[in-house]
Amino acid sequence: MASEKFTSDNITLPAEWRSKRMPLAAVGAVLIVVSIFVFAGIGNGLKPFFHSYLANFMYCLTFCLGALFFVMVQHLVRASWSSAVRRVAELYASTIPFWALLFLPIIITLFGGSDALYSWNKPEGIELEAVLNKLTYLNAKFFTLRTALYFGVFIVAARLYFGMSRKQDETGDREITLKLQRWAGPMIMLFAVALNFAAFDWMMSTDPAWFSTIYGVYIFAASMLSFFAVMILTCYMLQSKGRLQKIVTVEHFHDMSKFQFGFIVFWSYIAFSQFLLYWYGNIPEETIWYRDRMDHGWGTWGLLLIATHFAVPFLGTVSRHVRRRPGLMAFWACFILVVHWLDMTFLIMPNVGGVSLMLILGHALCWIGMVLVFISLFLWRVGETPVVAIKDPWLPDSLAYQNLP
Amino acid sequence: MSDHKPEKKVKPPQAFGWMAEYDDENKFLDAARKVRDSGYTRTDAFAPFPVHGIDEALGIKPTVLPWFTLIAGACGTTTALVMECWMNGYSYPYIISGKPFISLPAFIPVAFELTVLFAAFTTVFAMLGLNGLPKFSNPVFSNPKFDRATDDRFFIWVDSRDKYFNSDKVKALLEGTSPLAVDEVREDDTSTDVPKALYFGILTLILASLIPAVLVWNMRSVRSDKSRWHVFFDMDFMPYRKAQKQTTIFADGRTQRPPVPGTVPRGGYAIDDPMYLGYTPDANTAMITPDSSSVVKLVSAQEGAAQEPKPQEPAPTTQEPTPPAQEPEKPAEKPAQEPTAEPAKQEPATTEPAKQEEPKPEPAKTEPAKTEVAQEPAKPEPPKSVPATPITPAPAAQVPAAQAPAAAAQQPPVAAATPAVPDRKYLEKLPEQFQANDEMFALGRKKFEQVCSACHGFAGYGNGLVSKRAEALQSSYWLQPTSVHDERLQKQPIGQVYYTITNGKGKMAGYGSTLNVKERWAVALYVKSLQRSQNAQATDLSN
Repeated sequence: MASEKFTSDNITLPAEWRSKRMPLAAVGAVLIVVSIFVFAGIGNGLKPFFHSYLANFMYCLTFCLGALFFVMVQHLVRASWSSAVRRVAELYASTIPFWALLFLPIIITLFGGSDALYSWNKPEGIELEAVLNKLTYLNAKFFTLRTALYFGVFIVAARLYFGMSRKQDETGDREITLKLQRWAGPMIMLFAVALNFAAFDWMMSTDPAWFSTIYGVYIFAASMLSFFAVMILTCYMLQSKGRLQKIVTVEHFHDMSKFQFGFIVFWSYIAFSQFLLYWYGNIPEETIWYRDRMDHGWGTWGLLLIATHFAVPFLGTVSRHVRRRPGLMAFWACFILVVHWLDMTFLIMPNVGGVSLMLILGHALCWIGMVLVFISLFLWRVGETPVVAIKDPWLPDSLAYQNLP
Repeated sequence: MSDHKPEKKVKPPQAFGWMAEYDDENKFLDAARKVRDSGYTRTDAFAPFPVHGIDEALGIKPTVLPWFTLIAGACGTTTALVMECWMNGYSYPYIISGKPFISLPAFIPVAFELTVLFAAFTTVFAMLGLNGLPKFSNPVFSNPKFDRATDDRFFIWVDSRDKYFNSDKVKALLEGTSPLAVDEVREDDTSTDVPKALYFGILTLILASLIPAVLVWNMRSVRSDKSRWHVFFDMDFMPYRKAQKQTTIFADGRTQRPPVPGTVPRGGYAIDDPMYLGYTPDANTAMITPDSSSVVKLVSAQEGAAQEPKPQEPAPTTQEPTPPAQEPEKPAEKPAQEPTAEPAKQEPATTEPAKQEEPKPEPAKTEPAKTEVAQEPAKPEPPKSVPATPITPAPAAQVPAAQAPAAAAQQPPVAAATPAVPDRKYLEKLPEQFQANDEMFALGRKKFEQVCSACHGFAGYGNGLVSKRAEALQSSYWLQPTSVHDERLQKQPIGQVYYTITNGKGKMAGYGSTLNVKERWAVALYVKSLQRSQNAQATDLSN
C-alpha cells in the first residue's frame, strides 16, 4: 500500500468544486421558484408544482437511499472490493438529513389543509368508498408521524455507518468494521420496511384509490440503479480532477457497471411484472393507474421508458468492453440519470394531467433546480472529508482487486 | 507416412514441445510474458488456482463466447415472438382472457424464457466447443511431474506445432525464466488400443439388458399351467365387495357402511319445509321424500292400478322408475332413454289423462314446439292429442291443483302413465323466512347476473352470451334458453320458479348445489320482478 495514494489532494474534493456550492444552491433555488410561475401558467393551483416537487425530490432522494443500502449490504456480505468506493456512498447517504428538511414544505401544506399533492387530505371531496376507508391510515397526522419514522430509520443508519467509518479513519480500529457488519442485517431489515412504506405513503398515495404491493420494490430498483449511475459518474469526475488516482481502478468501475447493468434488468423485471399482472387481471381499480398513464401523451412517455430505461442501456452496457471503459460508462451513467427522471416523472406527473409543453418545461426547471441543490448539499456535506476510508481493513484487498476474466 | 508403414510401431515418441515448471506465481507470470513477447502463440499455462493476469501475460485474446450468447439470446427472443404470433395470431387464433390474438405483453414471459434457454445452452456448448472439450488426454500428462499442476506447481507449455517453433530456442528461452525444470513434452506412448475387456464388458451389458425383454416375451407367448405371477398383488385383487355381501374388513361383517354420524346426504334435509321445496307438500306427497323414490314408485303403481282400466301393463312403471320427487321433470333425458317403440306401448295408459286434458289443449299445442323441443322424439308416433299431454306445465298453472290428472300432464310420459303424483302446491309468495326487501332484490340480481345471465341474458330473454356465441357458431345442437318473459313462465308462481332453479328443467341444470336456499329464493324473486318489469300494468304506476 503506497502511502502517496492517500495524500490530501488525492482524497479530498477539489477546492474549486467546494467553492461552487453556494452559487449552485442559489441557482437551484431560483430555478425551483421559477418553475412555480411556469406551472402557474397551466392553472390548477399549486397541484402541478407540488407533484413536480415530489417527483424531483424523490429523484434525488433515491440516490441517497440507494447509497445507504449499498453501504449496508457491503458490510452485510463483508465485501472487500468496494472498500475503495464505499466512502462516496456513505457521504451520499449522510445527506439524507437535508432531504428530511426539504420534505417539510410537503408536510406544511398538508397541515394547511391543501390537497395539492395528496387528495386524501380533503376528505369532503372524496367519493370513492375505497379511499374513504383508507382515511384512518392516510391523514395528515399519521402521515407525518410515519414520515418522521422513515427519516428516523434512514438518518440513524446513515449516521451510524458514516460516523463509525469516520472514527475508523482516525483509530483504524478493526472492531468498528466487525460492529458495522453485525448491525448490517437488522439495519437492512428496518431500511427495507421503511423504504417500502415510504414509497407507498409519499408516492403511491398521490393516487389514493390505486395500490400495488410491488411499488416499494419498484422504487428500490430505481434507487439502486440511479445510485450506481451517480457513483460511476462521481468517481469518474473525481478522477478527471486528479482525485482517487490509483485508488479507484478500472476493476471498481467494472463492478459498479455490472451492478448498474443488473439493476437495469431488475427495474425492467419489476416494472413489467407490475404491468403484466394488472393488464392481465384487467380489474378496473387496478388498471385505472395505467389508464391514466396511457392517455394524454403519457402512453408515448411509457413507450419511451421501455426503450430508454431498458432496451437501449441494456444493449449499451451488456458488453464487458464497455463496462471496463470509465469514460464510456460515465456517458451511460448520465444516460441512466436522465431516464431515471423520465421514470420518476411517469410515476407522479400523470396525476396532474396530460403532457403539455408548459408542464414539461416547469417540471424540467424544477428538476434542474433540485439537482443543483442536491449537488450543493453533497459538496457541503463532504467538505474536507476524505472520500476514501483510508484505514478500512478491507482497503488493501480492494486496491489489489481484480475481476477474473 | 504411408512409405514407412511397416516401421510405424518402432517410431520414437513424437515431441510436442517444451514444458517449464515453476514453484512461484510471479516467476510463472514473468515467464508467461517472456514467452508471449517472443511471439509464440500455441502456448498454454497450467496453475492450481486462477492466477490474476495470466490471460494478458500469455497473450490470450478475449473470448468470442459472449457473441455466441448474445446471438443465441436474440434468436431465442425472435423464435418465441414469431412462434407466439404465428400460433395464436394465425394458426390457431384463440381468445384468451379477452385479449387480442397478438398480444405482446402476454408474449413477453415466454420470450424471456426462450431467450434465457437459448442463451444458456449456447453458452455452455459453445464454451465446450471453443475449449476443445471433452478432451480425454493431453501430451503434458505423460510427464509425471505434471501431476503437481493441481497442487503446488505452475507450468508453461510451448507447443511444437507453433508457427515459429524451434526446439533449441524454446528450451533456451524457458531456461532463462528461472524454472525448477524444463522438460520435453513427448507423445504419450501408451497404447491407443481400446482394452479388449471394455468391448467384452459393453457386450455383456447389452446382452444382459435384453434378458428382461426375453423373459417377458417368453411369458407372453408360452402357455403355462402355473398360476400367474402377480407383481402387485393388491392391484390384481382389490379387497372390495359388492353391496349386501359379507366382508372381513369390517368388524360387523357388512360391506355396506352406515352413514357417518353427523353427516347428511345431499338433499336429505328438511324434506317437508316449503322453504326448501318451493311447494307445500300435502298428504299425498308428504311421503315423497328425496330419498324415497321407491315409495313413490310403489304409490304410483298402486294408484295407477286403481285408476287404470287396464292394469295389465305395470311394466313401464316398474322398469322405469318414476323420477324421485326431487327431480320429477327430466324431459330431456326421458326421450333418449326410451326406444321409439315404447311410447306406442304406453298408449293405452296415456289415453285417459289425455282425454281429461282435452278441454284446454291450446296452450299445450302452441307451446311445446317452442319451449320443449327436447321432447320432440316422443311426439310423432301417437295421435296429436296424445303427445301434447305429457309436456307443458302451462295447464298445471291454469288448472287448479285439485284437478289431479292435469298434474300428470306435468310429468314426463312415464309419469303420465301413472298419474299418481299430484300437482304441487307451489308457493305463491316468498316463504315466511324471507322478506322481499332491497337486500333480497340486490342479492337476487347479483346472483342472477353471475349465474343465470350467461345463458338467459341480463334481462332474461334467453339471449345470454353463451347463446349468442352458439348462434354465431350455428351450433346445431344448441337450444335457445327459455325466455323468462314467456307467457307460460309468467304464469308460474314464484315457488315453481324456485323449484326450477333448484332442480333444473329441460336442458337447464339444477342450481341447488350452486346457490344456497336464500340465494335461490332471491333469484326467483328477481325473475318474477324481471317479468313484471317487462309487462308493467298501468296499475303498477300507482305505487
